[in-house]
Amino acid sequence: MALGVPRRSGADRRGGPPGRLPGAARRGRVGRVPGWTIVGVLVAFVVAGPLVALPASFVSSGEALDQIAASLLPSALANSVLLAVGVGAGTLVLGGGLAVLVSFYDFPGRRWLDWALVLPMAMPAYVLVFVALGQYGSANPLQTSLFGGGLALPDPRGPGGAIVVLSAVLYPYVYVLGRSAFLGQSRQAMEAARSLGRTYGQAVRGVALPLARPALAGGAALAVMEALADFGAVNLLGFETLTSAIYRVWYGAFDQAAALQLATVLVGLALTMVALERLLRGRARYHQALARGDAVTPLRLKGGARWLAPVVPCLLLGAIFAVPVAQLVAWSAETLVEGTLGSDLAGAALNTLLLAVVAAAIAVVTSTVVAYGQRARPSRVGRISARLAAVGYAVPGTVIAVAVYVPLVWLDRRLGDAAGGLFGVDVGLLFTGTILGLVVAYVVRFHALAFFAVEARMGRISPSLDDAARALGADRARVLADVHVPLLWPGVLTAALLVVVEVMKELPATALLRPLGGDTLAITVWEATKDSRFDVAALPALGIVAVSLVPVILLVRLSRRDGWSAAGAQGSTPSGG
Amino acid sequence: MLSSLIRRRWPLPLGAALLIVVVLGGALVASGDQGDDTLVVYNGRSHYGDEAAFLEFQRRTGIDVELRGGTAPELYERLRREGEDTPADLLVTTDLANLWRAEESGLLRDASSEALRAQVPERLHDDQGAWWAISARIRTPVVSTERVEPGAVTGYADLGDPRLKGRTCLRTSNSEYNQSLVADMIAKRGPQATEALLRSWMANDPDIINSDGEMLGAIAGGDCDVGLANHYYLGRTLKDDPDFPVAPAWAEQDGAGAHANVSGVGMVRWSDMEDEALALMEFLTARGAQAEITSRSEFAANPAVPPAQHIRAWADVKIDPIAVEEAGPLLDDAVMLMQEVGWR
Repeated sequence: MALGVPRRSGADRRGGPPGRLPGAARRGRVGRVPGWTIVGVLVAFVVAGPLVALPASFVSSGEALDQIAASLLPSALANSVLLAVGVGAGTLVLGGGLAVLVSFYDFPGRRWLDWALVLPMAMPAYVLVFVALGQYGSANPLQTSLFGGGLALPDPRGPGGAIVVLSAVLYPYVYVLGRSAFLGQSRQAMEAARSLGRTYGQAVRGVALPLARPALAGGAALAVMEALADFGAVNLLGFETLTSAIYRVWYGAFDQAAALQLATVLVGLALTMVALERLLRGRARYHQALARGDAVTPLRLKGGARWLAPVVPCLLLGAIFAVPVAQLVAWSAETLVEGTLGSDLAGAALNTLLLAVVAAAIAVVTSTVVAYGQRARPSRVGRISARLAAVGYAVPGTVIAVAVYVPLVWLDRRLGDAAGGLFGVDVGLLFTGTILGLVVAYVVRFHALAFFAVEARMGRISPSLDDAARALGADRARVLADVHVPLLWPGVLTAALLVVVEVMKELPATALLRPLGGDTLAITVWEATKDSRFDVAALPALGIVAVSLVPVILLVRLSRRDGWSAAGAQGSTPSGG
Repeated sequence: MLSSLIRRRWPLPLGAALLIVVVLGGALVASGDQGDDTLVVYNGRSHYGDEAAFLEFQRRTGIDVELRGGTAPELYERLRREGEDTPADLLVTTDLANLWRAEESGLLRDASSEALRAQVPERLHDDQGAWWAISARIRTPVVSTERVEPGAVTGYADLGDPRLKGRTCLRTSNSEYNQSLVADMIAKRGPQATEALLRSWMANDPDIINSDGEMLGAIAGGDCDVGLANHYYLGRTLKDDPDFPVAPAWAEQDGAGAHANVSGVGMVRWSDMEDEALALMEFLTARGAQAEITSRSEFAANPAVPPAQHIRAWADVKIDPIAVEEAGPLLDDAVMLMQEVGWR
């Protein structure tokens, strides 16, 4: 892709005569090959290209739907839809309710809860599930650590458990977007409602909530997208959705065509959610142009309600975050004391870090190039390819794994033949036999994440800086290197950090594409949980939660500095499991 | 420093450099693992504790052993795709069906020796030597000692007994143990009888659970009363807690016997370390390693090694070993059948 950088004459590269006018520079561009556009198209091709394999599976397999795919599809699709509806409703009630509570009512601990309520975002669903399963199985010898086996929990397995667990970790999407929408609402609307005789509560229900509807629904759409992509939690809970059906077809029936077909259906669902979210978020923005002083002042609660209000959120946080983390710590301590730690945890941590850093470095480069290309030479093709490259963000990890795998196997064979024929070396399986295949999958999935972060930062660099540099004779590449990159650093770092964290949490693509032997933390958790070795899973899980806290804390800090509206714009990050 | 590095014509040099580093690194990883003096084992046996035997081998012989874990289907798929490029020298699986599948796809080669034949009885290895058993495990109903009368469950059909409706639990149909069991049933009972049996199981609306260990917990916790598990899961639990309220209900003791599967090893066709691989196969079936395996409640393949003390009474259970030549080809049918009857 780097080869697509615009070719310029030697004189132009070296900067040209200092006295050149901006107009001259502009005129010089006319009719040139749009190099940056080509770069963008190339990146889009590399990133989104594998996804073309999905619909192609229907063409290549001849039949409309593979027999196995057809037998699995109805129930898996029904379960995925059930999960989507359940998590949509669950996150709306939970996230929306909490956002209303914190936005419109004042009670002890409100400030603290305002940011603490975002913490569950750092809890990957599969980790919460395994803690729940570990608590539930009273026969688990390690269960004694926290509850002494006394507390009876409802059976988490099945659709109900999956909906509850996923709603519990995904509601912050609705909460964050809801908070930012409520903060953007004008006090006047509420006051008008009150002056017409409504009580405060009626005004919240009748005016504030409907105004925030697009934002809340947008948050729910994001949450539903995550729920559809979830692989670990539904698998551990024995609830077969499309993601687990894909895995089963691949590794039970060894039928990749069928896996691709199921994946196509799943992508269709996910893209519907993206479209919905875009539509709703576009409208949500409409309500946010407000000066700060105009925001609603929360009503101070009195009497019993004043003390009751913080109880519910605290219990919730306890159940979703504090107790599971405490249980993880207890389990970890036990394994450390007894020396029954799983094998090679340090190696797994190192593998995870290596994968994360490599993927982040590549994603940062691709996203910066595409973002700058769009800015340097705005064109329809460039815009479309940037959008296209961002599609991976909506595509579940399971699907990415399946989609990336097919072209990579082909590429491996060709490369192997070529290397053998040309140089007489045996390169083995360059992509599918090593971490490279996995890195490709990560970049496909998380390029968009890095792109959003870089693009947001680039948007804050004034175009007049570009013009000034160009006027002084710098070419496009130099503008990027000398003007943008130094100013972009915070955005680039954020982008890299987000990708690192997401890669560390990522489970499905890692499970499907990892080179054997090099286990990651997420895989260690996954394998140990499948074996009900909750004690072994605890320490790596704790590591994942700790790392996942980093972007959440960043988000919280951002919200405290710039308000939730800025945070809301950054809050839409996909999560791992 | 970085900014001066990329000052001029960055994405070009930086992107190219990055790409080269990554590709070279990847190639290194790929070729490093294929290093000539490391024995690579694709190991389907659960990671936790099973390394001991391999480490002991490494310590005694000085041959480096690298274990790469995964479920049996994952390992098979990986091996099949890698073909002659595979770094693997040995394939170790937790069930025979997947070894058979690998053999059938031409991924294994025959390997045999005096020591192997002496250590592994006739019926626990392939005639030509494509696979050799390491251990045997019985898959049988397990029942709550608190809520199920002794003698109430005596065979696989009881899992479909209407009296147990809503009281059974089963592991997912993704489990290779269940797949092998069903394939073996199709081979021995025929497809119709097996389908009827599975439908009766499903009619009892079983809880579907991820692992055998979790299932034992579910039974002890009162979630269900009857399950289907490999014997050593229960053996391990009983070793830690002799009062654990779950007991085996050995299947078909008046008939064919309880279904027994085999964890085994085969040499990968493209292994370039034949002698070392064979040495490891011999080591795994010799007394020392076999004792290590029985200490975790499995039955040794080597008849000279008795079961562990705490399950010695189980040594007399009548078993019905999987008929791998017949059941192997039926694996795909088994997977399909389980899907058809709605076994998740």
